[in-house]
Amino acid sequence: MASKPKTTKAKAPKPKLAFYWASSCGGCEITITELGMRLVDLSELVDIVFWPAAMDFKYDDVKVMKDKEIDICFFNGAIRNSENEEIAHLLRKKSKLMIAFGSCSHLGGIPGLANLFDVETLLERVFDTAPSLDDSRGTRPQLKTRMPEGEIEIPEMYNRVKSLAQTVDVDYFMPGCPPVVDQVWSVFQTILAGELPEKGSVIGAEAKTNCDVCTREKGKSGMRISEFKRPHLTELDPDKCFLTQGVICMGPATRAGCGLPCVNGNMPCRGCYGPPDGVVDQGSKLISAVAALVDTDDPQALREILTGIVDPVGLGYRFGLAESILSDLKYGK
Amino acid sequence: MENNDRPLSFVEQVKAIPGGEHVEVCYSCGTCVSKCMIQQKVEPDYNPRRLLRMVMMGMREEAFESPTTWMCSECDLCYASCPQEIHISGVIGAVKDLAVEAGYTTPLEVVSVDESLCAGCGICVMTCPYEAPHLIEKEVGGVMDRFSEVDAEKCMGCGMCVAACPLGAIARPGVSNAEIVSQIDIKKKRGKKSLAVFVCDWSLRSDDDVALLESYPDNVRVIHIPCTGRIDPQMALIALNSGIDGVLVCGCAPGECHYKRGTYVSDCKISLLDTMLGQMRVANGRVRFVQIGTQDRGRIRHEVDDMLASLQKEAV
Repeated sequence: MASKPKTTKAKAPKPKLAFYWASSCGGCEITITELGMRLVDLSELVDIVFWPAAMDFKYDDVKVMKDKEIDICFFNGAIRNSENEEIAHLLRKKSKLMIAFGSCSHLGGIPGLANLFDVETLLERVFDTAPSLDDSRGTRPQLKTRMPEGEIEIPEMYNRVKSLAQTVDVDYFMPGCPPVVDQVWSVFQTILAGELPEKGSVIGAEAKTNCDVCTREKGKSGMRISEFKRPHLTELDPDKCFLTQGVICMGPATRAGCGLPCVNGNMPCRGCYGPPDGVVDQGSKLISAVAALVDTDDPQALREILTGIVDPVGLGYRFGLAESILSDLKYGK
Repeated sequence: MENNDRPLSFVEQVKAIPGGEHVEVCYSCGTCVSKCMIQQKVEPDYNPRRLLRMVMMGMREEAFESPTTWMCSECDLCYASCPQEIHISGVIGAVKDLAVEAGYTTPLEVVSVDESLCAGCGICVMTCPYEAPHLIEKEVGGVMDRFSEVDAEKCMGCGMCVAACPLGAIARPGVSNAEIVSQIDIKKKRGKKSLAVFVCDWSLRSDDDVALLESYPDNVRVIHIPCTGRIDPQMALIALNSGIDGVLVCGCAPGECHYKRGTYVSDCKISLLDTMLGQMRVANGRVRFVQIGTQDRGRIRHEVDDMLASLQKEAV
């Protein structure tokens, strides 16, 4: 792309970038805007051809593009409904490189936690049983509604939340909820320099786990956990490994690269950068590590200690449930 | 004062190490040998009674070379039945300390750390029942980095750290992640439930029970592990995801774990995994952990049958 600037006097065409959000909170979009003045530099180097969150683009603008016309598409958000899916396929078709940007498109993210429930249970909660609702009307969203002007439709919500790679072919994965802004900037540099690693790689992050870069004092022989504590109910020593304080930290099962903003704020890692190289299933790997630290030789006491882990799925798969083996088991591969 | 100048005899040296104090109380009844799983299952020459006698007779080199010195995992099954109440593993540990001091090395298969993967998180350090791993700092490429290092002489090869290591940086020959996962392979037969049985090699006392495991048809896959503490919930999930209907993990009864705490660790793992499957509303009872005691001869047959039957029932 930007690798041969010398040969032509006429300006080489700038790479075309697209940003899209599917099922997400918008935090990934904010990360892009957090580039601040660097966005101005970026606009010198690239053309942004699609960015519905920030600029006035319509799906039709993409539909009329030639195949592979977009050089790089940064796709954030999980695949939750038929609209997400349709646009994922469309952007895949129109883009040379598809980058799963942020936890939701990487592993399903927070929306992936909905895989704990089926769609009907979710709708029942949202439209009937939530305490803030007047449930007397029995409202349910209808896919198609006839209005005087004609029929209108809304996207269909799927039973299973999926990651982007479970929907279309993905070239690179950039983790984070959201990806930290300096990593985003360095990934832009890498791309523009044409120095991307092999297809399928995780970019904008490290190979090892957060523990590798965490400077807290680590556990010693014989240190075990006899009570699991919750971070909001515990006074935490800012210099010691959370696990040695009985608070579960996802750091051991989470890829480094974020720069530890949570840990430095004296909160345990929540795992948004996903598993490190070589780990298939982040949550079960965390369980394997944490269970090995439980301190007891009494089966009854052990069960009592485990009740301190209130929500193992929500803890171990906070950002990775959609892509996990657990979801495969529930919904089929 | 003259006495202090005399070099300590072998037995005096052993007695001077905490744990070795009571060696001379032994009257060689051999009850310890009759309780010992190592003697029964892997090493006929393994014999605590004889080792204690060697110590008393000053047979230093013989004691250092004896498999008994190196193979004792401090399960302490013998401790409870010793009529002289000798903490035999403590005595053996004292002999081992002297052997290590004299430059002898362990004959066991032990774990090793791949520093290119290790993040220095210290989880193996906290996990190990034998205090074998510890963290070291050293310079790599101009920067200080932190790694786990394993004291081979302390490692008993249980593999608990292999399962606990979040990066797969620790391996033990024969029970690496890849080696275990490659065994999870069942040919599905229509109408027949399939079961992967992870069995701790120490939990089955009788030869009949071990032989039984070899006799199961294709729908039951038996995978031997050194300790149920070696099980990684990820493996159980991989097994289920490959189409296997259930995963049964068989470990030792509480208090009888060959590696002190493996059976509790496994209990925690399978219990949490079961909770997670329940949260996901995946069919009940797909994973199960059973603890088989030294007196429970023949129980493994019932546990396998029972699990297959309940999977069948769940499917109906």
